[in-house]
Amino acid sequence: MGKKLMGRRDFMKSSVAGLGSFVYLASNEKKQEKKQGERKFIYRTLGKTGIKVPVIGMGMIQPSNPALVRAALDAGINHFDTTAIPAVQENNLKMFAEVTKGRPRESFIIGVKVPSPTDPATGLYKEGVTTEAFLKKFDFSLKWLNMEYVDVLYHYAVSRKESAFYEPIMKAMEKAKKEGKTRFLGISAHMNVPEIVQIAADSNFYEVVIAAYNFKQKNYLQVREAIAKAASAGLGIVAIKAIRGGLKEGEKPINPRASLKWVLQDPNVHATIPAFDTFEDMIADLSVMDDLTLTDPEKEDLKRAASSAGLYCQGCGQCVKQCIAKLPIPDLMRAYMYTYGYRKPSIGRELVVSLGLPGHICEVCGPCPVQCLNGWNVSRKIRDIVRLRDVPSEFVV
Amino acid sequence: MRKGGGMRRKVCFFILLFIALLYWAGGIRTPSWSSGPGGNPSLFPEISRWKRSGEIQIFFPRNLYNYIDGGAELYLKYDFQELEVAEYLNDKKASVTVEIYRHKTPTDAFGIYSQERLANAKYLAIGAQGYSEENILNFVLGNYYVKMNSFNTGPEDQEVLVIFAKRVAEKLGGNGSLPSIFSSFPKEGKKENSEKFIAKSFLGYSSLHSGFTADYELSGKKFQLFVIEGEDQNDCRNMIQEYLQRTGNLGKRIEEGHFTVKDPYQGEIDFCWKGKYIWGALNLDEPTIRAKYLKLFEEGLPERK
Repeated sequence: MGKKLMGRRDFMKSSVAGLGSFVYLASNEKKQEKKQGERKFIYRTLGKTGIKVPVIGMGMIQPSNPALVRAALDAGINHFDTTAIPAVQENNLKMFAEVTKGRPRESFIIGVKVPSPTDPATGLYKEGVTTEAFLKKFDFSLKWLNMEYVDVLYHYAVSRKESAFYEPIMKAMEKAKKEGKTRFLGISAHMNVPEIVQIAADSNFYEVVIAAYNFKQKNYLQVREAIAKAASAGLGIVAIKAIRGGLKEGEKPINPRASLKWVLQDPNVHATIPAFDTFEDMIADLSVMDDLTLTDPEKEDLKRAASSAGLYCQGCGQCVKQCIAKLPIPDLMRAYMYTYGYRKPSIGRELVVSLGLPGHICEVCGPCPVQCLNGWNVSRKIRDIVRLRDVPSEFVV
Repeated sequence: MRKGGGMRRKVCFFILLFIALLYWAGGIRTPSWSSGPGGNPSLFPEISRWKRSGEIQIFFPRNLYNYIDGGAELYLKYDFQELEVAEYLNDKKASVTVEIYRHKTPTDAFGIYSQERLANAKYLAIGAQGYSEENILNFVLGNYYVKMNSFNTGPEDQEVLVIFAKRVAEKLGGNGSLPSIFSSFPKEGKKENSEKFIAKSFLGYSSLHSGFTADYELSGKKFQLFVIEGEDQNDCRNMIQEYLQRTGNLGKRIEEGHFTVKDPYQGEIDFCWKGKYIWGALNLDEPTIRAKYLKLFEEGLPERK
């Protein structure tokens, strides 16, 4: 309450200022630099877990190339994270087991996520998600890995508070830890990141958090603040989507090295896990550790990329708190996107109708207090899109 | 009276304006009585004793991560175009989620399917190919990759999923087939259902575009064969040139024929180049078997040129 909200203009100012404020490394950082063969490595400690990891790890999204994982291990990367797409995960973990065969178990850190059936519309777990089902899936992961334990077991892709504290899953995770099947418990936040990171910080349950964090996020200041709180509460912080986050379709990252540096200049971020899929990218990502300082051209690249306006609702949820009528604004923005962005008004209409909105919308509240981080005139877009309710469905595809 | 008529004209004007806007947005469906082309029929069939729940969700390349966070990038590599998701419920509170991914080409759809398919699953003749496990049934058909997950379906789980899969396949139409280039792969020792299509950065090198692979096992030796289909001879020459540079194999003459290369990450690789094809073997250290398979492969390829 009473917290001043940031408008688009303020955001753009802070965005540029934010880039400036991240320029310098914490003074004690360089003392932690170590040599790994010829390459300089920077290690940070993953919060109270005490695990030391290089700031560059590896996110494995494609199971097909064991040579790449082997090369990463040989290069000194010891922190690995796996995908949660069920079938890919199985192939992925089996491949990882094959590659790490013969290597001491304690020589690498592996994080595993267990997905549970979620209602795609609400982000909440479906009725009947149980402790037993979660543990069964996790046991399969251990079997595929051919390992006794993982280092971090993650509660996967949590976007709602109710899910973060979903009792059957918390019980399952607790049991897995008690039985020595995982050393630590974590949570991953891709959407609604500030709130989930904050929840993790206050939970006294989660020990590591994976959080989407990049300079293109409209709410990156809130993400940064939440990460700082979580780090000071002793959580290990792993940043994801550092390079590709916020990119449009077919858009190539402007400067992957600069993007990684930007994230890693936040001393509260302990590690990143870029999903490189070529040897060239692996070498480029590792080279970030030679010097985390952003060069002037890199700063320019980031400023240029940060200033390009986003076209899509990022689901930060800020507007829902501000709206007097408590309208489901992200859903309405999605309907707007379907209708005008993708020219699918039937889907836009179906979504609008399914929301069960009141008769008069954005007409009676007076000046709209919603300040969208994208800078959109939200009430105008809503008034536009809700008109679809009045068009008979047979006129729309 | 005049005033009322003016109001009606205004209302009519705004309705027409709104319809014009929708038309501009590409969303007006030609009425069923018209002789013009119809719109897209729904991809999701009616299934008796099951009811569709909620809206159909649709995702595109730029917001796919909203649905499969942490996995969207893999789909994007396979030229993902659009995903539609519907959930079905029955009166016993069981649910089936049907995800229909549309990719740019059938090869892309097969590619992502091949990344996810499980070697030990039960394979089914649905679409070009499908497989099922507990609570899962996935299949590929033309440009579509269909994934279905069930929940609380009890002992009838597999039957339920097969019914859904057959109905969805009917809606999509046709059967499709796996990429024909796999018929060029030697049959001896090939592991069933091990074929894959890697859409980008084959073998971990961005210069190598895409490639097709299959796993083999012969006399206890496990290895892989691969083929890269370039656009033309020149494309293959450029790929090889860059690959040799990246792997430090400088000074080799780049002409059609046989290459043995020391790859710093993958050991010794044998490959051949002819026309728009590059084919080779990975993890096969037995020279005689290597030579035999490269020859067999070559025999399978010429008819494709």
